[in-house]
Amino acid sequence: METSPGTGQNSQDAGESPRPPEPSRTSPETLSPDPKPPNLSPRSPLVLVVVAFVVALMLYFGYHQARRPGASAAPARLTQLSLAPDFSLESLDGKTMRLSDLRGKAVLLNFWATWCGPCKIEMPWFVELQTQYGSQGLQIVGVAMDDASKEDIGKFAKDMGVNYPILIGKESVGDQYGGVPALPESFLIGRDGKIVDKIIGLRGKAEIEDAVKKALNTHPASSQASAARPEIVPAPR
Amino acid sequence: MGTLRDTLSRHGQSGGATLLLYPMLVALASGIPALAQVPPPPPPVTVAAVPLTTAQRAQQTMVSLNFRVPRGYHINSNTPKSEFLIPTALKMDLPTDIILGKIEYPAGEEMTFPFSPDEKLSVYAGDFTVSVGVHPLHSVVPGKYVMRGVLRYQACDDAACYPPRTLPVSFEVKVVKEPATHHANPAQSPHVHN
Repeated sequence: METSPGTGQNSQDAGESPRPPEPSRTSPETLSPDPKPPNLSPRSPLVLVVVAFVVALMLYFGYHQARRPGASAAPARLTQLSLAPDFSLESLDGKTMRLSDLRGKAVLLNFWATWCGPCKIEMPWFVELQTQYGSQGLQIVGVAMDDASKEDIGKFAKDMGVNYPILIGKESVGDQYGGVPALPESFLIGRDGKIVDKIIGLRGKAEIEDAVKKALNTHPASSQASAARPEIVPAPR
Repeated sequence: MGTLRDTLSRHGQSGGATLLLYPMLVALASGIPALAQVPPPPPPVTVAAVPLTTAQRAQQTMVSLNFRVPRGYHINSNTPKSEFLIPTALKMDLPTDIILGKIEYPAGEEMTFPFSPDEKLSVYAGDFTVSVGVHPLHSVVPGKYVMRGVLRYQACDDAACYPPRTLPVSFEVKVVKEPATHHANPAQSPHVHN
């Protein structure tokens, strides 16, 4: 009677791995008892110890977060302060689209799939929002996280009357955005390229519209900030 | 912590005041605005243990596999109502000379969901049974055989859908000889045994 009840794939959540502190150049003399007020310069042992402690705490929590069942294997963890990870993907019309080329616009990046019922409900809302806010600088971008053929995805998008670009998704891009464990999942990206909101699962159109307005109300970053690298830290393994 | 305290005391710090730094720094480190929490993935569909089934050679025997979809989730039936939905399907890989017979899926339950109020979907929720026909050929040596396969499904809850998954399934079948056919009794030799 051996039936092996199976299980699905477990995955791990990503965590942030902080930058290690600079090597200490403290001489042994500075560790000796000193009646003077504490030295709080950047090279002070006290500061270094506190930084090391914080780093250790972050590693500890990151490790436990990563071991939590149900998270995906390597995805990055994003926060509202993160610069949206850049990527290039092929669109349905065969062109390559790069996310950073949209800098200066507010972007609604929607991960979806043809097999996802709730995604289908959102799509007409996105069509309306693109029509309504496109002139103000909104660009909706769909990323199909699908095994279906390009033709099938195209047919689906056509049936839904989609008026925004649909890109053929890759797992690596999903991982950049936290693994996209459930669909639909949308990221609202400000004109400065930073993530301002994230919507998981089906929500009301009003909530999506509010998030769109939040993204539209951002200002383009300076050229220096635009050149910044994404603030994404690889997940601890 | 001990090392930290030692270091602090060497610097003549008042431990209590300095230790206030820690929660502040921790709060600072974790104070980055978090985005919406990612929902945990759904618990997997499970399959109940299958009792040992006896299958006669040269005959099809049906084996029932009882699956359970976790509460709050549903999976598409074997015949979903849209070409884009992923049907639940069992794929078996049987030993040589044991032929896969019919796979019988239950009819889906027609349900509407908040994300599809106007459209009924054909789904499995809760418990459902799939029956598999196994047909050992004459050539199969009697004995126990393990049948293996996978159930592929794609789950959703009321607001989100999750990528397709596969659930390994296996069960044992005891293959027995077909009953001896009844032959016309030939004339017996009239030997007398003492």
